[in-house]
Amino acid sequence: MKPVDFELHRPETLSEAIALLAEHGEDGKVLAGGQSLVPLLNFRLARPEHLIDLGRIASLTAIRRTPQRLIIGAMVTHAQAERSVAVAQGAPLMARAFPHIAHQAIRARGTVGGSIAHGDPAAEMTAVAVALEAIMVAVGPRGTREIPARDFFIANLVTALDHDEVLTEVRIVPPAGPTGAAFEEVARRQGDFALVGAGAQVRLAQDGTIADIRICLTGVSATPHRALEAEAVLIGHAISPESTQTAADATRDVLNPSSDLHATADYRRDVAGTLVSRVVKTAVQRATFDTTSAA
Amino acid sequence: MTKKVEPVAVAKDKTLHRYLSKPARVREDRRFVTGNGRFVADLTPSGTMHIGLVTSPYPHARIVAINVEQALKLPGVVAVLTGAELAKATEPLRQYIDVPEVQWRPLAVESTRYAGEWVAAVVADSRALAEDGAELVVVDYEPLPFVMDPERAAQDDAPLVHPSHGTNVMVKREFVWGDVAANRARAHATTKVRTRWNRNSTVPLETFGVVADWDQHRSVLDIWASIQMPQFPEQIAGALRIPTNQVRVHFDVDVGGSYGVKRGIKHGVLAGFLARQLGVPIKLIEDRSENMHGGDFHGPDRIFEVELAYTADGEFTNIRIDVLDDEGAYPGRSPLQLAKPIGAIVGPYRIPSAEYNAIAVTTNKTGQVAVRGFGQSPTNYAIEAAVDAVARELGMDRMELRRKNFIQPDEFPYKIPSGTEYDSGDYPGVLDKAIEIANLPELLRECETIRAEGRLAGIGVATCLEPGGGNAIFENIMDPSTDKSTFPESCRIRVDGGGAVTAIVSISSAGQAHETMVATLVGEELGIDPDRVAVVRADSLSGFPSQSPVGSRMAIVLGRALHGAASELKSKMCAIGARALDLTPDEVAYCDGSVASVKDPSVSIGWDDLVGIAHRKQHLMPPGMQPGLEVMHVAHTPKSGTLTAPDGTVQLYPCFSFEVHVVLADIDPSTGKVDLKRYFIAHDCGTVINPDVVRGMVYGGTAHGIGVALYEQFAFNDDGQPLTQSFMDYLLPSAHEVPVIVDAEHCTPSPYTTHGQKGVGEAGYMGAPAAIAGAVNDALTACGAEPIHSLPIKPSDIWRALNARTPNQEGSS
Repeated sequence: MKPVDFELHRPETLSEAIALLAEHGEDGKVLAGGQSLVPLLNFRLARPEHLIDLGRIASLTAIRRTPQRLIIGAMVTHAQAERSVAVAQGAPLMARAFPHIAHQAIRARGTVGGSIAHGDPAAEMTAVAVALEAIMVAVGPRGTREIPARDFFIANLVTALDHDEVLTEVRIVPPAGPTGAAFEEVARRQGDFALVGAGAQVRLAQDGTIADIRICLTGVSATPHRALEAEAVLIGHAISPESTQTAADATRDVLNPSSDLHATADYRRDVAGTLVSRVVKTAVQRATFDTTSAA
Repeated sequence: MTKKVEPVAVAKDKTLHRYLSKPARVREDRRFVTGNGRFVADLTPSGTMHIGLVTSPYPHARIVAINVEQALKLPGVVAVLTGAELAKATEPLRQYIDVPEVQWRPLAVESTRYAGEWVAAVVADSRALAEDGAELVVVDYEPLPFVMDPERAAQDDAPLVHPSHGTNVMVKREFVWGDVAANRARAHATTKVRTRWNRNSTVPLETFGVVADWDQHRSVLDIWASIQMPQFPEQIAGALRIPTNQVRVHFDVDVGGSYGVKRGIKHGVLAGFLARQLGVPIKLIEDRSENMHGGDFHGPDRIFEVELAYTADGEFTNIRIDVLDDEGAYPGRSPLQLAKPIGAIVGPYRIPSAEYNAIAVTTNKTGQVAVRGFGQSPTNYAIEAAVDAVARELGMDRMELRRKNFIQPDEFPYKIPSGTEYDSGDYPGVLDKAIEIANLPELLRECETIRAEGRLAGIGVATCLEPGGGNAIFENIMDPSTDKSTFPESCRIRVDGGGAVTAIVSISSAGQAHETMVATLVGEELGIDPDRVAVVRADSLSGFPSQSPVGSRMAIVLGRALHGAASELKSKMCAIGARALDLTPDEVAYCDGSVASVKDPSVSIGWDDLVGIAHRKQHLMPPGMQPGLEVMHVAHTPKSGTLTAPDGTVQLYPCFSFEVHVVLADIDPSTGKVDLKRYFIAHDCGTVINPDVVRGMVYGGTAHGIGVALYEQFAFNDDGQPLTQSFMDYLLPSAHEVPVIVDAEHCTPSPYTTHGQKGVGEAGYMGAPAAIAGAVNDALTACGAEPIHSLPIKPSDIWRALNARTPNQEGSS
């Protein structure tokens, strides 16, 4: 379990990193925390000749908040974002997802950008990015691109990033109004990749009906799944046991998950529905609390 | 010079112990906690070369050709060894049943028999280069038919793993003990339960590792290895065709966990051969994936059918256990794991007759090896599942059904139908203790509360034995042509010229705290502070007969050797002291380091003077006595020395520890996730030597059992490929999954050991799988679902059981 020989580059600036990627082409690979890539290297499943570590580029480690945007640098660690008030306010769903990412030691090294660029549909950050309609900012030799989440995740572990591009930041539009979020997972053990995970972020209107809702699922498809079918059931109404049940069923109807050693497809489909109804209820409760406390 | 040593002291009242059973630090902890253990991976003699392995991608394939040219061209690669070359120069590895046509070798010859089997070894300057080289070895395979399911493997037309053997059945043994017909006739009903114990193992943090170094001028092969294995040096020598006195295995390396699996004989032979061949030190440290798919260290993989016959009021009259064990590709030592449970075949229950039908088959999976309990925990699980099923049939309380059938405290020593005598026990007393610490009425209320909140809840109970004091009589049971009946343990006690005490053992330890145990026992025997007793480990050439710490035997058998050595030492000191005091040896006694007159204890001679005479004053020594204070004692296992009788009865292990688990499981009905809410164990291993060590064993074993019950499995797909090759898929329970465990100790001393101690190395693990499965099944049956009889129980299994209920059944929840 030793990686194939590679050369490690540790650029101090983004432009150096981009130059290195341009120089090494498909033989180069970006290292952004290494919590997925290093095991892949050790298993020799990834065999880059040049590894370009973004860990020394200070400009990628900031979390910024403008009135219109929450901007998370690609090298912000999960642990850093987990503790950030700006993230808690600007992307409540993301904040709720962090405790489910593996264990503290992994969150201390793993990065938001690294997870998103890895494109694993079982991961929390990819699902959150889709639900919150995040914009991924990619910088490469041809300039800067802004890629919306719905176009970013193409297939399992495949994203819209070109091999010579670096994901530099993730932009999210903060919610306007009383908002609540919840994230739940079922994993065989605490910290494992979830058999199924679900997250919801809900904004309530003055009358208590749902003004905006984002629901996402992990582990049920080749790309992170946004449960538009469930959202359609719920938006514009106050929630009721019937409506969350209908949303759960709507979710189950469209999913086609796979079976593996740890769970069957039928189980995943059914539990996905259950989790959707649970996270929606919890998110609405939290949003209601937000309304009350704001008043 | 010495008086006759009493082999066994009468078990003393616990309060009379000065050091035993008292809270005391575990001396090994300091080095492990500070990261200063010295493991085989820490050793790299100068000039060491490293092995990388080429492994089979097919579950069964003929090796058509191996091309090593490209690998040898890689700078840094010094050699590539194939199975055919190794086979020419070595003997096959030892199998423990009589199947000479089934050859097991470190590197496959002619065909590979499981995905992951070693095919060639590449030696290079570094492990990374060796792995690069291994990728360049080109093997041409011709895939062959394979079999992964043990029941399929047992059929006549199944693909053969070893065509030379003619069948996949390696052993088939049938036993009938007692008057089965009469006891069946007395029964009103029988209950049959089929249980599946899927393949798991102990999975230590440290994988297997070995360093071998051949000194051609001294003709010694030095080996450092993470082993826990009887006869490792002899088997290395045998395979390499060199005399046993040319293999020196060093036991003073720390072993990072084992519980049976650290055998590594193929690793040792491969490294030893290459070290001799190349004249350089050779190192092989398995990586996690190699360990998981090719380390030959998986544990039992069994299908049981247990049939329990009982009367209308719940008295058990007969038990039949049929078991089919999937050994993987090479039987090795694994068939013997079917024999050990014969020594506890009726559990703690008074069952007058028993039938046992055991079959071992080979399949195209990686090999099995000894795992904690040597087949006992799976058997306990199967028996307890049947007991629970009888309780359900009769509508009886599960604890009361067990209590009704317990062997009673006044019935010991108690001979079970298979001929083994249980030494001692207080099963009702331990059950009472479990009920007390669990606060059973409160626990039942909590269970009801959870159910009332719309969740599932269940209580599990297991009452299980841990046979201790391992001997090797199972070799004779499974292969009557083997008449091995000795399985000794030994130690040396040295009082040096400065008066310091050193105990010398020749075993390696894998976390069992033997140094603490030895120091405590020597301190107790000699009446000196254990902290002043040094414990060191001799290597295999300078050491003594030892069979290594297997089968919960060190407290029992090494304890006996320590007692023998201490008694001889005290006799010698008494003889010296008597002469100095002008008394006869009968008129003096040893007490806390001095020798004193029995009549007038004020007449005495102290430690320093006794040591001075023994080491430096021949003129004061009893005539004919050897100088120095150095004694060595080799002890048999208690109650050993007899072979299996023609009627199939046999005395297996001598001592029987007992444990009662009571567990409350809380289950999410929508997701099937199990939360072990409360966990209680009452445990009896006789006299405790060190309380923290015993508690650590009980907790660790329970955690292991939780893994077996809910998480761990070495799985394969239909193509014969291993699905669990890392900790991403082989799920060990973490601190999140192991609840707070409340335990209580009970003490029923063994009459056969020096201080009443019994075995504890398998504690917790003996009953946890049964108890947790019982809790889940209590929850399931309470809401109208069928019980699950296959481990591990996954959330999706529970979900499926709940969804399989008929609407009528669901209404009852």
